[in-house]
Amino acid sequence: MTAVSSTNSTARRRRSFRPSPLLLTFVLVPFVVESIWVFWPAIQGVFFSFTRWDGLSAPAPVGFDNYVELAGDPVFRGALGNTVLWLLLFGGLSVIGGFGMALALQRERRGVGIYRAALFLPVVFSLVVTALVWRVFYQPDGLVDQVLTAVGLEHLIRPWLADPETAFYAVIIPSLWRQIGYIMVLYLAGLKAVDPAVHEAAKVDGANSWQRLWHVTVPQLKGVNAVILSVIVIDSLRSFDIVWSLTRGGPYHSSELLSTYMYSAAFQSLRLGYGSAIAVVIFLLALVVIIGYLVRAFREES
Amino acid sequence: MSDFDPSRRRLLGLGLAGLGALGAGPLLSACASSAGTGSTPTGGGITLQSNLTGAAKSGLEKLVADFNKLGKGTATLNTVATEIYRTQLPTYLSSANPPDLYTWYSGSVANAYSRKNLLLDVSDVWQGLGEYTPAMRNVSTDETGKQIFVPMNNYWWGFFYRKSNFAKWGVQPPKTWAEFLTLCQTLKSKGIPPIGIGLGDTPWVASAWFDYLNIRVNGAPFHRELLAGKQRFDDPKVKAVFAKWSEALPYFDPKGKAYPFQEATTALLAGKTGMFLIGTFLADATAKDVVEDLDFFQFPIIDPAVPVAEEAPTDGLFASAKTANPAATKALLTYAASVEAQEAYVANSSGIILPAHPKAKASDMPLVAKGKAMLAGAAELTQFFNRDSSDALQPTADTALTRFIDKPDQIDAILAEWQKNAEKVFKG
Repeated sequence: MTAVSSTNSTARRRRSFRPSPLLLTFVLVPFVVESIWVFWPAIQGVFFSFTRWDGLSAPAPVGFDNYVELAGDPVFRGALGNTVLWLLLFGGLSVIGGFGMALALQRERRGVGIYRAALFLPVVFSLVVTALVWRVFYQPDGLVDQVLTAVGLEHLIRPWLADPETAFYAVIIPSLWRQIGYIMVLYLAGLKAVDPAVHEAAKVDGANSWQRLWHVTVPQLKGVNAVILSVIVIDSLRSFDIVWSLTRGGPYHSSELLSTYMYSAAFQSLRLGYGSAIAVVIFLLALVVIIGYLVRAFREES
Repeated sequence: MSDFDPSRRRLLGLGLAGLGALGAGPLLSACASSAGTGSTPTGGGITLQSNLTGAAKSGLEKLVADFNKLGKGTATLNTVATEIYRTQLPTYLSSANPPDLYTWYSGSVANAYSRKNLLLDVSDVWQGLGEYTPAMRNVSTDETGKQIFVPMNNYWWGFFYRKSNFAKWGVQPPKTWAEFLTLCQTLKSKGIPPIGIGLGDTPWVASAWFDYLNIRVNGAPFHRELLAGKQRFDDPKVKAVFAKWSEALPYFDPKGKAYPFQEATTALLAGKTGMFLIGTFLADATAKDVVEDLDFFQFPIIDPAVPVAEEAPTDGLFASAKTANPAATKALLTYAASVEAQEAYVANSSGIILPAHPKAKASDMPLVAKGKAMLAGAAELTQFFNRDSSDALQPTADTALTRFIDKPDQIDAILAEWQKNAEKVFKG
């Protein structure tokens, strides 16, 4: 933007200081809606986290008791550990898988659309439907067991979702199955924006395909990577539906995430104050990651 | 970025938004009841909020239709899915303009709401219910001595099996714990997993084992005190319960951990397991001709010195203390408690249930007669883990019991943790 045009626009803005009613509507209506259904409940949630509340009687203030209890709660620690592990596995593998798929399917070839659509299809399904399908795979004598039997590995068969050793991983697989397609689409869009001229130049300079990928393509995907990072962090922290519909955090908390533990504490054990405290922790975790990202992004821009 | 699945956006920070949903709850329930409450004090419509689906729903529809013909009020039925109902019930009851009547459980669950003054005192309805058994009156009475609940029906739990399969395997239903273990041994030697169970998604089914072993080993009074927080889960008496359970544990169907009780029922009916400790609701989704092949035996006696108690969950109705039309609400409760209404209800709901009124006729199936006789012969009745304690205590049992079934050698750690978790629930 040149200096001339910027002074012009400032002058114009100053002249018509009063915003149009249409603009006001577009800003205020969503703000009011968000306030009622997002901001106000969020503030209430923080308030409830300092109370003991069963949902029936008036909430009784207990100060930091809920947070003190959280610190000593082994189930909470397990859920926190699982959430971090989930973030690493779910995030890491979906980036590797999604990027790999995008590279494999970026070139326009006959039939490539079918493959892209097939990989993207799981994203279209509701996670609860995904969970139902995978539950059938995992059930005793289900597809997984049949395949293992067919290849002579029947000694590995176990109740996948009911065994505390495997339940967590058995839940991660369906969520990856879905997330990889999503990440692939984001990378496909990112790869479209990579300047082919730079590739040509690198080729002329004698860079091999690995060098071109690493030194030409990847740096140009920086913008997409930032988006994907935030998508993954947010998706990991809010992962709930798939875990809840497959294992409900069980057996005995082995696949518990912070989100599922919060739900069961609040709505099953009816300890809404304690559940709110967990919710606040989730919120803070998300906030730390997002602020960390924003700070970095702003620093780079300036 | 979340264009693909906008609904998930609301799950962001699910706690905060989710807790917020509670705030919106009263609005929703107010909508649900707006058709019912209000208007004139007599003759105004009342709303019956129900979680009953399938066969039981048609029974309730019939009840409401018959009541409306009496001209003592106009009731409308509003059915909500059970899982939502369970979580929303506190919100319904504490809202400013609540539905008038609710299907739910008697005993400590109703008592807990009564303690918060949310339930209508229906003692005057009970004055006309002199024929009901003292046991029914007890589970309908709160701790201050007033009645707050009107029972519609109860049912029983037992070891269900197929008569044809037992005949094929050449085995007899056992009476004592020793005979029971022998039966398990025999079935196992024939290659049949003796005891079916379904804990995947329905882990609460394991509580039936705990309840029954506890009332057989320690007796119903101890069981009730334990569930009310007056005894400890790490008590040696509780550990003795698990010692008995360990004797039967090798005979459990290993696949039972992975599938829900519905599939465990299918496995039982297909002869893939020998027997299944379950409530009569297993017959709800079972073909008629198969139900005729079903039979059950009472949970075996372990200590003959302990008075025999049976699990008989009682279902029925309670009313909101804030109902705008107590006259019509009580009229419906009075009607629901009558012989005529209960017979129609039982006849219209195809499930295996027993009417609460002692004079109302149950279905004439031999199975039903046997169940009725078993309950009548019991010295004491309990209901079920969550109904004798609270829905909030149930998850602590689910965790402890599924872990025990997996790792019976960790019993001391399991019971210590159970006690700790239970204390948190009792503390609130």
